[in-house]
Amino acid sequence: MPQEYIPGLEGIVAAQTEISLVDGENGRLVYRGYVIADLAEEISFEEVAHLFWYGSLPSRAQLDGLAAQLSSVRTLTPAAMTALDALPTDSDPMDVLRSVLSVQGVLPHLQKPTIEHAIHATAAMPTILAAFHRRRKGLDFVKPRPDLGHAANYLYMLNGEEAAPELVRALNTYLVLLADHGMNASTFTARVIASTDSDLVSCLVGAIGALKGPAHGGAPSAVMDQLEQIGTAENAEHWMREARMRKERFMGFGHRVYRTYDPRARILKAMCQRLNPKFYALASKVEETALAILHEEHPERPQATNVEFYSAGVLQAIGLPKDFFPPTFAVARVAGWSAHVLEQASHNRLIRPQSEYIGPQPRKPVPLAERG
Amino acid sequence: MTEYSPGLEGVVAAQTAISEVDGANGRLIYRGGYLIEDLAPAVSFEEACYLLWNGELPSKAQLDALRQEMAAARTLKGTTRNVITSLDYDTDPMDVLRTAISAQGAAKTLQKPTVAEAIALTAAMPTIVAAAHRRRHKRDLVEPRAELSHAANLLWMMDGQEPAKERVYWLDQYLVLLADHGLNASTFTARVVASTGSDLTSCVVGAIAALKGPAHGGATYAARTMLDSIGSMDNVEKWLAEAHAKHARFPGFGHRVYRTYDPRAKILREMAKTADPKLHQLAAHTEEVALKILHDAHPERPNATNVDFWASVVLTGAGIPKELFTCIFATSRIAGWTAHVLESLADLRIIRPASQWMGPEPGKKPAPLEKR
Repeated sequence: MPQEYIPGLEGIVAAQTEISLVDGENGRLVYRGYVIADLAEEISFEEVAHLFWYGSLPSRAQLDGLAAQLSSVRTLTPAAMTALDALPTDSDPMDVLRSVLSVQGVLPHLQKPTIEHAIHATAAMPTILAAFHRRRKGLDFVKPRPDLGHAANYLYMLNGEEAAPELVRALNTYLVLLADHGMNASTFTARVIASTDSDLVSCLVGAIGALKGPAHGGAPSAVMDQLEQIGTAENAEHWMREARMRKERFMGFGHRVYRTYDPRARILKAMCQRLNPKFYALASKVEETALAILHEEHPERPQATNVEFYSAGVLQAIGLPKDFFPPTFAVARVAGWSAHVLEQASHNRLIRPQSEYIGPQPRKPVPLAERG
Repeated sequence: MTEYSPGLEGVVAAQTAISEVDGANGRLIYRGGYLIEDLAPAVSFEEACYLLWNGELPSKAQLDALRQEMAAARTLKGTTRNVITSLDYDTDPMDVLRTAISAQGAAKTLQKPTVAEAIALTAAMPTIVAAAHRRRHKRDLVEPRAELSHAANLLWMMDGQEPAKERVYWLDQYLVLLADHGLNASTFTARVVASTGSDLTSCVVGAIAALKGPAHGGATYAARTMLDSIGSMDNVEKWLAEAHAKHARFPGFGHRVYRTYDPRAKILREMAKTADPKLHQLAAHTEEVALKILHDAHPERPNATNVDFWASVVLTGAGIPKELFTCIFATSRIAGWTAHVLESLADLRIIRPASQWMGPEPGKKPAPLEKR
């Protein structure tokens, strides 16, 4: 008989990785040896992607090479464009991303995941989202520009004009911060799919499906919903105490791994204060109240603010609609997903855990005519 | 934290009443406690679906109601149809299936998985698979017929003519036998995606993505390809001995869980005699020789024939081209995938395992771009 059932596989080591380390005890997130606080506001998303895929930060020539490659595959295939046009304009953007990436990534025959495939998918995601956003607003599609970086292109294609440098920088920092995070549910999904020797796009489409869940990538939208309900800083304490009576969860708090303040949340909080003072005034009051209430209830638990809480304010300041928060998370995390898939594929073993049967013992079926 | 468990082998990741693979005794038990060898001769695929979703075999009235619901959901949405026609004619049918299910399930807002949705997605599978097949041959799509069973509809929509009863029977039996099988990689994928609170479509899309891998759903195709390549009775010994000398694996042999003959393989082997007598003869000789070679090489290993080997012969007899084998597998297993997702909702907990850090010591400082 195998071991005991482990709910949520908590504490079970499902992979060995060199891509990122979530050091919960010390509140550190580490990308291939670099602590996130040292990277976040210093480097571009493209540099992080290079770090993940190739194992090192790029030289100037390598970075230019990667930027040129990304540029060359930002445009959607005709099939992907047709598929995008076929979907209802009121679809959840996560469903659009899942469906259109599934078309964009079609290969002539089954291929092992490569860095080239990773570049292809990473480049296409902002284009898919921007094209869908334009379409649902009845606006013409805006072609990507080869002279703009990844973050700048996303905002340019969404809005049809270049975004302010400050907003491009903010989106870039967000993408860097969210690019990987250990063995979270979507990354694990990607690795399980990779373990069957499936192709990269299959892994990514599965990961998008997992990220869609409110307990994972859906959280920043839920934070925004809750803040909208609370409305004003004065109302925070009253609303939140009542919410607890109804056993409602506070969105954006708690994490299975961090035992201290999430280092990404700290950076995003400072960005919020700068870029979105109105959000910050409400959010910081809500945070303070939430942490106080949670501490009263469970003084033994480390109830820290998580990354979703201040993500919401940063993404709002950048001008993204609320339903674009989860797919923008995917735009960042695709760098990590694809790196994990490449790592899994390089020393693969089929991921096939056991289950514990809790049904009845064997019995005979009753013929159809005799069933009640 | 525990040690790294490659492939999560032996780790119990779920408690389930949907099915039990009792490897030591060579038994497969479906929900309700039915042994597969008792159940398969007694029920149709629709009854097996009802059992997996509801926990009991249906009465005549319940079965009729389910058939009606499935008939109503077999026609694809206009948007899904357009997404399918956006794809190139020669697109891998599994890519068509992954994309079309993603589009068929695209919605405005996130819905919790329900039995009604499981019925709708399951019903749509043969329509999509048949559409992929017809498009590969540049033929017009055939509409489903309400009075035909699930299996009969698949053959009808593929061929555009009424299928012979025997073919329907073989295909239906295959669909019953493959409908669930413990916590295999695709079912596990569906449960991981479900654990984030995501929707049923995302779970199924992820599962299809995992099934696409040759180490999982691709084995039936590989087994048939091996038989094609062996070609004739007098080539069996030579072909297998040469393949073994090159350390090639024999597709259709070996399984991580069964320590005896797979009970599904036993049923399919018997059926293969009538489904395709000529291919059965070649396959039976191939099996005999392969098992002998494997036993001589590793007398300690229980090297039994698995379900993929004999499924490849029965599906051939049912008139399914091998390019569709993995899609037909998905058409069956979706019953189990959706049942597992529905079961997991009762006690939803995010599946987030740990990883072991193998990278450099945290804290190295990034060099500025121009100095790299």
